[in-house]
Amino acid sequence: MKQAILGIILYGILCIPPLTNYMESIMIVHMLIQLPLLILVGWLIGKPILRKFQHFFANWNTNGVPGIILFIFITMYWMLPRAIDEAVSEWYIELFKFIGLPIIGLCIRDSWSKIQTLGRSFIFLNYLPMFGLMAWLYIDSPIQICNNYLESQQKVLGWGFLVITIWMVLYVIQAVFTDQSDHNTKKSTGT
Amino acid sequence: MKRNWRNLTATILTVILGCVLFYVGTDGFRAYTAESARTYKLLKEKPEFPNVTLEDSKGRVYSFSELKGKNIMLTFIYTACSDVCPKLEMNLAEVYQQIPATYIGKDLLFLSISFDPARDDVETLEKYRKAFGSDGDTWRMARIADQNELNELLEEFGVIVIPDGEGGFTHNSAFYLVNKKGYLEEVMDFTKIDEAVNTVINLLENEVEE
Repeated sequence: MKQAILGIILYGILCIPPLTNYMESIMIVHMLIQLPLLILVGWLIGKPILRKFQHFFANWNTNGVPGIILFIFITMYWMLPRAIDEAVSEWYIELFKFIGLPIIGLCIRDSWSKIQTLGRSFIFLNYLPMFGLMAWLYIDSPIQICNNYLESQQKVLGWGFLVITIWMVLYVIQAVFTDQSDHNTKKSTGT
Repeated sequence: MKRNWRNLTATILTVILGCVLFYVGTDGFRAYTAESARTYKLLKEKPEFPNVTLEDSKGRVYSFSELKGKNIMLTFIYTACSDVCPKLEMNLAEVYQQIPATYIGKDLLFLSISFDPARDDVETLEKYRKAFGSDGDTWRMARIADQNELNELLEEFGVIVIPDGEGGFTHNSAFYLVNKKGYLEEVMDFTKIDEAVNTVINLLENEVEE
């Protein structure tokens, strides 16, 4: 319950108009702080909701795949340069942002525990090149991609994506090369 | 087993929903940036050019409707701009030179509109005009002195102007062609000069045939 309250408070804070405007005026804050925080809101609020509607989620999201698909589509949508641009200039895209992202936060909470290791790896490795591509797009672009943001801000965002990508690569490397015999003792018996 | 059909339905539904989201969100996979969406929307709607009052580099004041009956090749600029506008105007000059002289002035006018009326007064525009070799008649440089009229026009054409924090502005640029009836006909990439020239010549030739 604590988590849910925290989530509601966070959502309330994110909805304060001056703060919303401020966050959206800086491209990197909009994209890499506001959007993930909205997903986090859904994840936090998700706990009691998932418990209350346990039956529904067990029926409709049995193996976690529908939730993950929704998550992937909506996050990919927010990677379109157009989406964050329009969130600033069109009210209905903004509304979609504030509703859609918490929903997928909830979905990922339900789905992540249900999908298998292979599925998780697939998702992780799916986002890695995507973020890399975004980094390259924003750093290397000679033109202003978003009408509401300056080229210099675009570059900052690109570097932000690059940092995330590098961090993800490091994570993969440590996951591959560190001793994980605790997790899969059976596999390590083979030479 | 019963559970599985629900899960399967949900899977299929989310995939469909996702595709719909992308289809709608990109105007049917046509526009991935707000700028391409703007161009696409403009070309679909072809709005009428608002009847603004122009003040040109020769100090003449007239309303846009007085230019009706001629095609008008437009750009939006401000003279203090140091990056994209000179490029835009240089390319426009290039287009101007490549269009057969028989059309110019008779069927086609060039017009550069400043969206910085505070700084771009008649003298400044006159200086800018000379810098790009425009004659001030078949290629005019003008400002819209009335801020309300200017805002309405920028809004209608989806030109977004943002201050860059260093006393300048950043804005989305293109060549616009307004037809003889005063409606938007084409939005062209200002970096592709030859393409723009061809588009304009085609349009002019078609008109002659009609």
